[in-house]
Amino acid sequence: MSREALLKAVNEVFWDVFDDESLDIREETTAADVNGWDSLRHITLIENIEDRFDIRFTMLEVNGMKNVGEMLDIIAERARE
Amino acid sequence: MNRYHFEDMYMGMTESFQVTITEDKMLKFCEISGDVNPLHRDPVFARERGFDGQVVYGMLSSAFYSTLVGVYLPGENALLQELRIRMIRPVYIGDVLTVTGVVKDIREATKRIKIGASVVSEIGGGGVNEADITVGFTEMI
Repeated sequence: MSREALLKAVNEVFWDVFDDESLDIREETTAADVNGWDSLRHITLIENIEDRFDIRFTMLEVNGMKNVGEMLDIIAERARE
Repeated sequence: MNRYHFEDMYMGMTESFQVTITEDKMLKFCEISGDVNPLHRDPVFARERGFDGQVVYGMLSSAFYSTLVGVYLPGENALLQELRIRMIRPVYIGDVLTVTGVVKDIREATKRIKIGASVVSEIGGGGVNEADITVGFTEMI
């Protein structure tokens, strides 16, 4: 999956979790940029991303993600494994 | 009360208990919820609509999912975060219900578990409702 396709797929997960198809999630997007991205929504988002790409994050990875781009890095890395 | 931690969880871990639906529980639920619908309070009204008697509140029989999580699986350290319930068939006063939960998924990254749960009545022997439950864990701070 290309980086662009990956970002599109991640956007679709965000739309579902936040129930908002107007969201335009980019690599530099952080929790501060999205209305309603609180701790519980973050947990739901992580689990939905795991389900969508059939991967599992570690807690260290989740705690270390600074923006969506870093999330994409991990998803892409898992896909190569 | 059980005191399981996230690290104690394993796939297929199961907890179960029984409870009897009484008139007193129905009255208390009515008082707490304010649901005065006659289907739950008037046996004549309920029979006129094809039921065997006053129908137990679906949310009363489902309330035992709170007990399942908060007392049994995982118990004291539980933080109930999501509950999706499917009502299957009615429950009547006097029914003995068996509430069961099975760990179906363990998420290390978010320290949450998913429980597949059911309430089964001895009368008729079938499931009266089912639920998918997501549970987190509290810790001492």
